[in-house]
Amino acid sequence: MAVRVQFENNNEVGVFSKLTNSYCLVAIGGSENFYSVFEAELSETIPVVHVSIAGCRIIGRMTVGNKNGLLVPSSTTDTELQHIRNSLPDAVKVQRVEERLSALGNVIACNDYVALVHPDLDRDTEEILADTLDVEVFRQTVAGNVLVGSYAALSNRGGLVHPKTTIQDQDELSSLLQVPLVAGTVNRGSDVIAAGMVVNDWCAFCGLDTTSTEISVIESVFKLNDAKPTAITSTMRASLIDSMS
Amino acid sequence: MASKSENVRARIVKAYELDEIEKLIKDAKVAHVMLTEAPPLVDEASVLTRLSALTLRSSDGISCSCCGVGPFTTRAQQTAHYKHHWHTHNLKRKLFGRKPISLGEYTARQDESSNVSASDSEADDNPDAAATELFALATRHCKAFYSNPKGQVFCIYRCLLHHRKEEMSHDGEGHFWARRLKELLSPGFGRWAVLMVSGGHFAGCIFTGGSDAIHKTLHSYTTRRGQGMAQATRDQSGNAPKSAGASLRRYNQEQFLAANRLPRTAGPLLRRFKYNKEEFLMHVQNILVSWNDDLKGCSLVFYRAVGTINQAALFGKPSPLRKEDPRVRQLPFPTRRPSFKEVKRVFQTLASIEVYESLQDFQKGLLALNGGKIPSKNNSDTNIKKSQKQPAKTFDRAKSRERAPRELPTQVTSSEDEGPCYIDSETPAGWIKTLSEQSSNGIITNSRKDLLNDCVITSCVDSESEKEIVEKKEEPRRKKKVNKKPDDKAVPVKKGPPKIPASVKNMWRSISDKDSTSLDTIIEAFEGDIQAACNTQDPIDGNTALHKAAIAAKPEMVTQILSAGGDPCIKNHDLQTPYAATPHADTRIAFRMFQAQHPDKYNYSKSQIPGPVTPEQLEQEKERKAQQKKAKRQREKERQVDKMKGNAFLLLSDDQKLQYLAMDNEVVNHGLLFLREKFQSKNKGASYAVVSCPKYRSSTTGASSARSPAFTAIGRSGR
Repeated sequence: MAVRVQFENNNEVGVFSKLTNSYCLVAIGGSENFYSVFEAELSETIPVVHVSIAGCRIIGRMTVGNKNGLLVPSSTTDTELQHIRNSLPDAVKVQRVEERLSALGNVIACNDYVALVHPDLDRDTEEILADTLDVEVFRQTVAGNVLVGSYAALSNRGGLVHPKTTIQDQDELSSLLQVPLVAGTVNRGSDVIAAGMVVNDWCAFCGLDTTSTEISVIESVFKLNDAKPTAITSTMRASLIDSMS
Repeated sequence: MASKSENVRARIVKAYELDEIEKLIKDAKVAHVMLTEAPPLVDEASVLTRLSALTLRSSDGISCSCCGVGPFTTRAQQTAHYKHHWHTHNLKRKLFGRKPISLGEYTARQDESSNVSASDSEADDNPDAAATELFALATRHCKAFYSNPKGQVFCIYRCLLHHRKEEMSHDGEGHFWARRLKELLSPGFGRWAVLMVSGGHFAGCIFTGGSDAIHKTLHSYTTRRGQGMAQATRDQSGNAPKSAGASLRRYNQEQFLAANRLPRTAGPLLRRFKYNKEEFLMHVQNILVSWNDDLKGCSLVFYRAVGTINQAALFGKPSPLRKEDPRVRQLPFPTRRPSFKEVKRVFQTLASIEVYESLQDFQKGLLALNGGKIPSKNNSDTNIKKSQKQPAKTFDRAKSRERAPRELPTQVTSSEDEGPCYIDSETPAGWIKTLSEQSSNGIITNSRKDLLNDCVITSCVDSESEKEIVEKKEEPRRKKKVNKKPDDKAVPVKKGPPKIPASVKNMWRSISDKDSTSLDTIIEAFEGDIQAACNTQDPIDGNTALHKAAIAAKPEMVTQILSAGGDPCIKNHDLQTPYAATPHADTRIAFRMFQAQHPDKYNYSKSQIPGPVTPEQLEQEKERKAQQKKAKRQREKERQVDKMKGNAFLLLSDDQKLQYLAMDNEVVNHGLLFLREKFQSKNKGASYAVVSCPKYRSSTTGASSARSPAFTAIGRSGR
């Protein structure tokens, strides 16, 4: 199920939230609307927590996490860290890392088993990442971009990458990640995939601008409604042909 | 190589020389780098076919395209490769547009990389690097590049071909560019207008076929910031100058004041005035309106107008120009102050098309023009030599500069009676000499000699005798340094503890004596200055007699000492005044009562005494406290009675308790309803309900044990 949502008139919901299979973080915002969309969708299964990082609301870009753990940058204050620790399930390890590339969400893309990281990431951080999130770490680029965390959104069932990723790159990445990948866009053609959407194994949230075609690609690649991939071609064909003519 | 690239000069062909152009652009093709790729359409069908095709087979034979290895046979092999440093290294090379290196090469480089950086070794090997650089330059260059079948390469300003915001149709073969190039030959294309406005200057010209047809410049008289009032001030001083400049300034000032409806005294505003913007705007727009027909005939209009005022001058209401007009284009390069000469220069620059005879020439020329680094050792060497010859003219103010050695100014003495001051005899060196003489006499021990050499003279002396000597030697020097008048008493020299007279000691002893309560006898029999004796501080803790009396908690003595002249403001070594030092309430009251009796005797503000108090006030205070105590005792009694009542419930048997609880629930469930009914019916029960309401509320919030009796009352009477 993919849901459209906006954060205070901003479509980059991946910037202001972080969704994993065991918890969801949302930024502290002026209106509770954003929070309540997540709450309505997720509260029965996982905790939805209000969080800030170093007083900022761009938590989605600053943090990285999966069902096993959460990494926060060194700028996180002690109070914020304590709050996060208190609010997340006990099984989730929360760790602060000293990393020059402090926007961890931009430089690391991960699901519960594999992480793609920026080629310049510190070796120590790589180790902490592997230990805390329990993942295999690979240094990679996505379509020639080092910010793998910004240009790829991954779950355990699929992944969406930068629209200009070559087919060969996609093949390599998907064989590394062991999940199918698709090059695509969100938010009516935005190529910063991870900034435009958040996804876990059963749910996705994307910006309000996302077109229905983009939604259907997201739902099929992340297998959100367990629809067969052929569903798009049959049911969507009419609208597709309309838009392409 | 470097010298060759410097020689490459492009032939210039002007855009208005039509014959030349025709020859040049025949069958010209746009350069490959100019072609933008069409944005990839996310094609549903292909996505879905790929999705189905992506089912992973373990023996798929996936390889790493970045390093050119594979296919891998096992997953372990694959992950091992991706985690290898070699892969990371190749990944980075790929990001910088370089070719990947093999594992052997990588390990070889790692071995030697301890002293050679990677970038050094790569500078020579890569022909691709230049191409990438070229591409980067071309895509954001203000010129478009073409080549023709003759092998010539020529560049032409983009703004001649298309408007900045014009949509580039994404045709892969450059039809768009070819079409636009042909437009250069269309009749009437050669008529251009160049308009420049900035800072109160306007210059405009319409060119036809390379020569100026109409032109006009306008310069409004500008003053420097903060000089707007200068003319008015000068005129007010009488003898107003009659020069042309002065009258211009006066005129401008008048215009400004009139336009803004300001009084003549609007000095501060006027000071900010630079030039008369409204008038300038009007003049420029008048010119443009008068050129209306000519401008309509122009195929292109180039302008430079930065800022709101300048833009308003060109595109404001009466002006025939519109910003949205596709003919109207911005100048793509920086220009100087608008003048006729400058406008002509701009036109010539715009119209010139650079023609290179071959691709190689072009590459070198372009890279050299843009300061691109052409990898050449000679070049860098000459650069270094140049930089060595020419020291930097600008200072880096962030860094501290070398300080020029400068002599310290000699000390000047102002006091006349000291006579001339000889610096030489005052220098530390002289001191060391004298002191070392003494050390040789055995006065200063050998261990101190090295200290003396370091000019540490004063603070390193232990014994009394040494101290005296040093002080003696030091005194004249210190005198001159501080410029002391001779009538000033000698410097406060650290002496031993001041001697305490026996009489004072006697007084202190009697104060701290447990049995004695009064000092009357001692004070009366005291010889000498009793006040000074009272205020003498004990060298050990800084306590005065008053402190001692206060600490010993003797209110009578405190009063006596205070009246004898003991200052209550003196602080001891703990920075406590006598009042603050006492632990005893009555003694404190003694201080306050003394203040009430003698309000002017001392300056009490520094004594930390909270304020005077009279015996009457004391009496009242006592009474109040007694009442408070009484009330408190009564409250306590009541509380105990309540507690007993609460316990009554606990003492009941289980059956009775259940009965109570049942009623309790009933009241909670029906009580509100019942109350509301009673309230609304306004019969006898109404008054009852009102009365019972607060009781009901308080009982629900109270503890359950206390609640029950109250509830029964309501419940029963309710029924």
